[in-house]
Amino acid sequence: MATLHLRNIEKTYESGPQVIKGINLDVADGEFMVFVGPSGCGKSTLLRMIAGLEDITGGDLLIDGKRANDVQPSERGIAMVFQSYALYPHMSVGENMGFALKLAGKPKAEVDVAVGRAAEILQITHLLDRKPKALSGGQRQRVAIGRAIVRKPKVFLFDEPLSNLDAALRVQMRIELSKLHEELGTTMIYVTHDQVEAMTLGTRIAVFNHGVIEQVGRPLDLYQEPANQFVGGFLGSPKMNFIQCAVTERRADSIALKVGCASGFELPRSVAADAGSALTLGVRPEHLELTRAGDGIAARVDLLEHLGDSTIVYAAIDGADQIVTIKTQGGRTALRAGEAIGLRPQAGACHLFRPDGRAIAAQA
Amino acid sequence: MAAVRKRVSPSRWLAYGIVALGGVIMLAPFWFMFVFATHTNTEILSVPPPLWFGSAFLDNVRLLIEKLPFFWRNLGLSFFIAFSVTVLNLFFCSLAGYAFAMYHFKFRESLFAVIMATMMLPAFIFMIPTVLIMSAIGWMNEAKALIVPGACGAFGIFMMRQFIGTAIPKELVEAARIDGCSEFGIFWRIVLPLVTPALGSLGLITFIGAWNNFAGPLVIMRDMDMFTVPLALRALQGTGQVPWGAISAGSAIAVLPLMVLFVIASRRLIEGLTSGAVKG
Repeated sequence: MATLHLRNIEKTYESGPQVIKGINLDVADGEFMVFVGPSGCGKSTLLRMIAGLEDITGGDLLIDGKRANDVQPSERGIAMVFQSYALYPHMSVGENMGFALKLAGKPKAEVDVAVGRAAEILQITHLLDRKPKALSGGQRQRVAIGRAIVRKPKVFLFDEPLSNLDAALRVQMRIELSKLHEELGTTMIYVTHDQVEAMTLGTRIAVFNHGVIEQVGRPLDLYQEPANQFVGGFLGSPKMNFIQCAVTERRADSIALKVGCASGFELPRSVAADAGSALTLGVRPEHLELTRAGDGIAARVDLLEHLGDSTIVYAAIDGADQIVTIKTQGGRTALRAGEAIGLRPQAGACHLFRPDGRAIAAQA
Repeated sequence: MAAVRKRVSPSRWLAYGIVALGGVIMLAPFWFMFVFATHTNTEILSVPPPLWFGSAFLDNVRLLIEKLPFFWRNLGLSFFIAFSVTVLNLFFCSLAGYAFAMYHFKFRESLFAVIMATMMLPAFIFMIPTVLIMSAIGWMNEAKALIVPGACGAFGIFMMRQFIGTAIPKELVEAARIDGCSEFGIFWRIVLPLVTPALGSLGLITFIGAWNNFAGPLVIMRDMDMFTVPLALRALQGTGQVPWGAISAGSAIAVLPLMVLFVIASRRLIEGLTSGAVKG
């Protein structure tokens, strides 16, 4: 187990742009840190830099307090699980798992014991003599994880390990990874673009965008208190609604907002925004209440999606060229497309963002 | 129920005819080589020439050994040179191909372009410089003068680079690096076992090329006992009446190992040559 400290880490390719722009991050001993962000945001590049597969062009990487920028990948005390599994096709499962120990010159008996123990943890003992081509996707992923476990690394690195699995298997493997972390207690860094994986697996989440970390924190903290519009929009499915609005009046304990041409409503919170200033109201689909027409923000039903346990309502706000999403509990609804409705954001679950995307904190 | 017979169109018949004609043109020399190997000179030079096997094969072999007392040594030397060139080519070409496919280094593309450009040059251009160099270092009339220059070639590098680039995922190399494999270890333990189809193809092509090499030994070898088989058989044509039966018998003996090798490895050869052409 180990701590990990990233100090102003940068990555600039010789003939390209800067892809990692001064990352500072501390990962505690035994923590499950998830890097999440859209494609091309730099999360995988940073993971590969930690692994030693990419050069660090600026800053310091400290593993267990020791600078590891120039340490060989095999000597960093890390193990990596790749998205494509990266199993050696010409070796059996057992040989794949024991390869690193064999290279380290460990006696065969010791290698066999380590492989056997990891195989037991992952319940793949019966597969040890098979070649990777004779395994299913889920089994291959277990072998890849087993290969990492056998090395007894200080830090596990996972690069989108569940992306190649079907939906059902992904859920199962997600649960198993969570249990594995509890069992081993090793520091883990997990890269994904799937915000559900990020929310369910991580002790903490780092949300990446364009080579910088937008926010780091516990999953629910990020969900409930996003630091900016990007984090608010990235976490949560369906994604957070962003409604353009203007401050019409600022009072001591509330603020009056106007949406579109006609609708207005009041938020019972005090924020540092002057009357007339343009803001963005962020409200999650489950925090928008449907009311009768004439009450709250005027809107019209555009489309309905029945998910069985819930219904997703897409509604167009009157006077504003904007569609918002509302998630209602229950599979059946009397609503029809084109019907006039009212929307009321739950007061305690609204977020206000400045034009530059930063969240405005409520004032005490 | 009567089977529905598909009518073959005239254009298809024409295509079959062209292919068949091409096949006959390519196979005829082989056929006549084997047939002539079993006939005497008189029979071969008669009009029309024999089209079926005769009974003079052993006489022709006897004549061959009489005219070429080092024939079996020549055959052995040919095998030694072709085998050595093949083994060295497989090693160095796959090593270079791996480097070009997997590593990023300065001037990689330019260097590769220069190597590819050497494929454009006719082989005869290298003859005079090779003789001058071999003469200067005292390697004339020695097998190593044919083995060392042939140890690595542009075609082999190109072929291995293409195969490794498409068949070996980069993650595999990275996983081995994290596992603690040295750079050469990655090549030897991970990459080489996975490129055996390409190695088989390249090996076959190289072996055939080295076995049939005529111009190289012609300028390097001086003594009869150091001749390779093609050179030794050519030497028969300059000794009065040309013993066509003996030459054909010698050619048949020389070509037989290649044909057996080709039949065994042809499937792998085609597999190796076409791999990576389409996404698998």
